[in-house]
Amino acid sequence: MPEDRIAVRISVNGVPCEREVPPRLLLVDFLRHELRMTGTHVGCAHGVCGACTVMIDGRTARSCLTFAVQADGCEIRTVEGLAPEEGLDPVQQAFHEHHALQCGYCTPGFLMATHQLLSETPDPSEEEIRTALAGNLCRCTGYVNIVRAVQAAAARLAGDAHGR
Amino acid sequence: MGGDAAAFRHIGRRVPRREDRRLLRGEAQFFDDVPKPPGTLYMGCVRSTAAHADILRVDGTAATALPGVHAIFTGRDLAGAIKAMAADHGKKGFKSTTRDVMPADRVRYVGDTVAVVLAEDPYLLEDALDLVEVDYAELPAVIGLDEALAEGAPRLHPEIDDNVPFVTAACTEGFEQAFAAADLVVADTFTSTRMAGVSMEPRGCMAVWDRGLGALTLWSSTQVPHLLRSALSELLGLPESRLRVIAPDVGGGFGPKAHVYPEEIVAAAVARRTGRPIKWVGDRQDDFVTTTHARDYRLRLEMALSADGTILAVRNRLDVNIGAYVCFPFGANAETGGGAIYLPGAYRFAHYDYVARSVMTNKAPTGVYRGVAAPIAHMAAEGLLDRAAARLGLDPVELRRRNLLRPDEYPHVNAAGIRSDSGSHVECLRLALEDIGYEAFRRQQPEDRLRDGLLHGIGIVCITEHTGQGAARYRARGLHRVPGFEGVVVRIEPDGQVIAATSQATQGQGHLTVFAQVIAENLGVEPEDVTVMEGDTAVAPFGSGTFASRGAVLAGGAAQRASTALADKIRRIAAHQLEAAPADIELVGGRARVVGVPDMGISLREVAAIAHSMESRTLPPGDEYGLEAKAFYDPPGVVLANAVHAARVAVDPQTGRVQVLRYAVAHDCGRVINPMLVAGQVHGGIAQGLGQALMEGVVYDETGQLLTTQLLDYLLPTACDVPDITIRHVETPSADTLLGIKGAGEGGVIGSVPAIAAAVNDALAPYGAFVSRLPLSPETVLALIDGGRRP
Repeated sequence: MPEDRIAVRISVNGVPCEREVPPRLLLVDFLRHELRMTGTHVGCAHGVCGACTVMIDGRTARSCLTFAVQADGCEIRTVEGLAPEEGLDPVQQAFHEHHALQCGYCTPGFLMATHQLLSETPDPSEEEIRTALAGNLCRCTGYVNIVRAVQAAAARLAGDAHGR
Repeated sequence: MGGDAAAFRHIGRRVPRREDRRLLRGEAQFFDDVPKPPGTLYMGCVRSTAAHADILRVDGTAATALPGVHAIFTGRDLAGAIKAMAADHGKKGFKSTTRDVMPADRVRYVGDTVAVVLAEDPYLLEDALDLVEVDYAELPAVIGLDEALAEGAPRLHPEIDDNVPFVTAACTEGFEQAFAAADLVVADTFTSTRMAGVSMEPRGCMAVWDRGLGALTLWSSTQVPHLLRSALSELLGLPESRLRVIAPDVGGGFGPKAHVYPEEIVAAAVARRTGRPIKWVGDRQDDFVTTTHARDYRLRLEMALSADGTILAVRNRLDVNIGAYVCFPFGANAETGGGAIYLPGAYRFAHYDYVARSVMTNKAPTGVYRGVAAPIAHMAAEGLLDRAAARLGLDPVELRRRNLLRPDEYPHVNAAGIRSDSGSHVECLRLALEDIGYEAFRRQQPEDRLRDGLLHGIGIVCITEHTGQGAARYRARGLHRVPGFEGVVVRIEPDGQVIAATSQATQGQGHLTVFAQVIAENLGVEPEDVTVMEGDTAVAPFGSGTFASRGAVLAGGAAQRASTALADKIRRIAAHQLEAAPADIELVGGRARVVGVPDMGISLREVAAIAHSMESRTLPPGDEYGLEAKAFYDPPGVVLANAVHAARVAVDPQTGRVQVLRYAVAHDCGRVINPMLVAGQVHGGIAQGLGQALMEGVVYDETGQLLTTQLLDYLLPTACDVPDITIRHVETPSADTLLGIKGAGEGGVIGSVPAIAAAVNDALAPYGAFVSRLPLSPETVLALIDGGRRP
């Protein structure tokens, strides 16, 4: 079934990428197949589980429900863009210290959702954390340590902001 | 913590995980992330849309006419290349059935694989799958237990004259007299909806055939790489020496991925046939339709008690709807046998009578899933205790306390014949009651349970978890294809770095950390200095794989054995150089040194260089080159972990919604290697049990069509459903296992299903209603309220 291809310019983690893509190519497959950035995972392909969550122009979005052509001209941020060259960012570090991941398949989505939450609500209540993460499913952790990790990350980021 | 915890440097500590960094940075490699070789074709499966039918015609003409679509293979095309699965063949007490990996003539459930299509691109593959035409001649389908058991019911398999491939039964001597002596008999029938395991990563695999070597490598999201390799060998007729299975990072398992699946076998056969690398990526719908389901039970339980609440005897009649095929490699009894023998747990009773049957229907095959039969068996037993407490006018906790096994009653052989060396039920009960605030809650709880328009209830249950099963147990249970043991090889490379490989495969349990802790303990290094590898049959020793809460016990034991053997060799080499006795050498801080003379020592790097003949000094006479030790561990039987779970719920009598407000658990998995990771296992298990208790359920219609094929239909708990959880670790080391370890993978789910049900029983006390059916969806709860006595 021959398909027309459409040129897109998408910036991923600050790196501009120009490709010609089929109109039906999903953003998650653009990342995974075209760019070989496999940190973003597909858990359900229906926008329910949140494993594929990325940031589009600073807002979390389901990359399994977004066509690559819809992201034309946008800034995408993925899990690969969170950490510094070595080591972990404060949210990743908190997830590590609080054992907030087991198999790790859902984790990139949770990291993106946590970043969005903490950028908007730097000092969230437990209820606000749970509500913000309710769109991401984890089958391993029971969310207990994820919530604790987000609380710890919020405290650390607040401390850092205060210190500066 | 155990009194001797101070004797350990690494075991028992909250060591952060070795595996996290890659996962957090997006650098992990799940099977779909493994770079695919040039020429890879994507495989898609044409699934049966009929629950029971003869295949009349499969037409792939339109599909294969699409440019980029390479081929279609039907069951007939591959008939000579793949043997049928026969998990129970030759097993005493079983009626063996076979499963065609890809049926050529007849389909037996919605999801059977009728054909596979190969295409260059996954999008194109979807187009092609839509164009495959299949004609069926439908046959009568049996969906429910009663239909399948009815006289003259349609038969699923020609080999057996009924739909019951397995029955297990036992009765203690004197049962009838004991039962007849009861002052009170409580009874009910409990049903548990089918469940799906729902690992966040759906199943998938990639098969690469090496024509020159005649060898095959299969990457698969499996929990059992060695068992999968053996199955590939058996079903494809290839020697195991030319088969390699690699489980890379695996995104959750929970049991369903511990089976061997048709797609793995077909992908391998097609790779061999075409010479092209073949990749199959299951999507969520495929996963719901074809990955083994679990827990489709109906359990009729009767409990006889004396007037003081002493349990005298229990009668258990269990039927399990196992679906269209027996799971491979476990067999028809995987869940059914468990439902019989897991039931006697924390309580003392001498008389038990059970009959448990596996029943085949035109639904997806069921298989092992976290907790196997124990959550529903314990829910039924605990549910009857709640009923008995109400009848006797006793507090439910007091009734349980009267029947709990005390520490001085161990070792104990229960009424199902299961021996257990230790248990700490009384202590766990004390701690869980304290943490949930039981006394205060009861004092403040209104008679009508109502506060702010909600019915508040509390549930306390005492459970056991069968862990660390070895070869003898698997033979006794008729699970002959499970080797039962595990193996570990530990090696120090010429540069002094420690590397180990285990026969297990991790899906997030933290194996790469806990086994490093055990090895580091014995070699006198830090856990971060030990690299542990798993999941690759070319690297790892043979073993069973990861399921049934066996990892810490068996691979932990094998790691203990291998690393102590290696430590002995290091001591001999060091002693030879330091002119001391090996017994006087201690391994500390990466050095082998003379006890009491810390300056007299040599580094592991030097020992490694000597062992590999890479410097002037030589090995002691009689020692082999290299610095490596391999060990297997097979514990004598089964080791029972125990726990007390305490849940507080609020039930909305208007909407039927159940909310879990507080949760506390005190558990005992013997010696704890890493309390942080054990807590993680408990948390996750509790959340899965909460899902089973309140919302999850696989639903088929009466024609065998699966209605729950997406996460929009099959609900999982979210962060808003699972409360914070308080955990206490009680450590009663097992006398039966190395290091005293008991398993911890399943206790969470085993405890939370009955605990939440018990809390709902308590909340509904004014209505005299008791839970007998899961999930406790709003409709089920409202029906319980409406069916009960209005206060």
